[in-house]
Amino acid sequence: MKIYWFLFYEFFKIGLFSVGGGYATIPFLYQLIDEYGWYSAKQLSDMIAVSVLTPGPVGINMATFAGFQTAGIFAAIFATVSIILPTYFIVISVSKALKTFQDNFYVKASLDSLKPAGCGLLTVVGLRLLKNNVTDLWSVAILLGLFALSFKFKKNPLYYFLIAGFVGVFLHHFSLIEI
Amino acid sequence: MEKVTLTELYKQFFMLGVQLLGGGYVIVPLMKKSFIEDRDWLTEDELVNFYALGQCIPGIIAANVSAFTGYKLRGKRGAAVALAGIITSPVICILAIATVLDKLLQLSFIQSIFWSVNIAVVILLYLSVKEVWQKSMTGIFSWVIFIATLIASLIFKVSPAIIIVCSLIFGVSYKIFEKKRSER
Repeated sequence: MKIYWFLFYEFFKIGLFSVGGGYATIPFLYQLIDEYGWYSAKQLSDMIAVSVLTPGPVGINMATFAGFQTAGIFAAIFATVSIILPTYFIVISVSKALKTFQDNFYVKASLDSLKPAGCGLLTVVGLRLLKNNVTDLWSVAILLGLFALSFKFKKNPLYYFLIAGFVGVFLHHFSLIEI
Repeated sequence: MEKVTLTELYKQFFMLGVQLLGGGYVIVPLMKKSFIEDRDWLTEDELVNFYALGQCIPGIIAANVSAFTGYKLRGKRGAAVALAGIITSPVICILAIATVLDKLLQLSFIQSIFWSVNIAVVILLYLSVKEVWQKSMTGIFSWVIFIATLIASLIFKVSPAIIIVCSLIFGVSYKIFEKKRSER
């Protein structure tokens, strides 16, 4: 039972503090690795990959996945409900003051302070996963290739994942990488 | 406009969850099609406003936009039903994959896909920072927060929640200070 309390506490907190959408939840999910060891950094990276490649909001997918890795099916549903619970309360209170909300001085000041912090947090996770996932020459080559594509290419991450997937299968097929 | 039934609301948000693929902003064109053109549930202005607000408040953007729409159509219950609808298909889908993922990952073919897709995850993080970068970094003020966050998180492993709360306190007090000074 204790694990459900931790799950609720952690995922409610993520729903409450992650500003900037689904990807903003990643630094929080990464933090859980150090704190609880519910899953590994490699597993988190796999979860992000699966979440982007399957239907549904990425943040929801990741909450479900992380919950599942922690303690199975009920934990998955529990984590997902916990992460959207703050949304329910926040939306209801904001809806009552819709018109004045966006122009409010404090709302603007909060957003101006939260955005750079969000950028910083995501950058740190990016660096950590870079260290974990990019370990040999082939992976550096793929990384640089995808990076070059990002100058010309659409911003939907799905395309990058599909291209990367094909390259991986190709390299594996010709035994160029060792898995 | 006729009152939307909760069943219908659930059904539409369930369908929305099925169709969402590859990032939150996809929700706008999808909602435009099924909620504005096919049904009369929202106006264009409302959708734009909900999306803008959805980005401002904490939480997953697609869930925020759904809750705003549900609340507009049927109040508190509507918000709850919309949220339940949007999470249904992702939860089922992820559970189906999660239960077999460990077995799948034993196949070297699947491992090779994950090996390279995990490199793309790094690019994904780069892209998501890049997307918000210009709107986020507006001056020395934001650079101070950005660099402080980097140091706190990377070196001292301070938890994200504490970093978020600290930047909020620092940022808002600085803005108040700045406002008072300019009024003088």
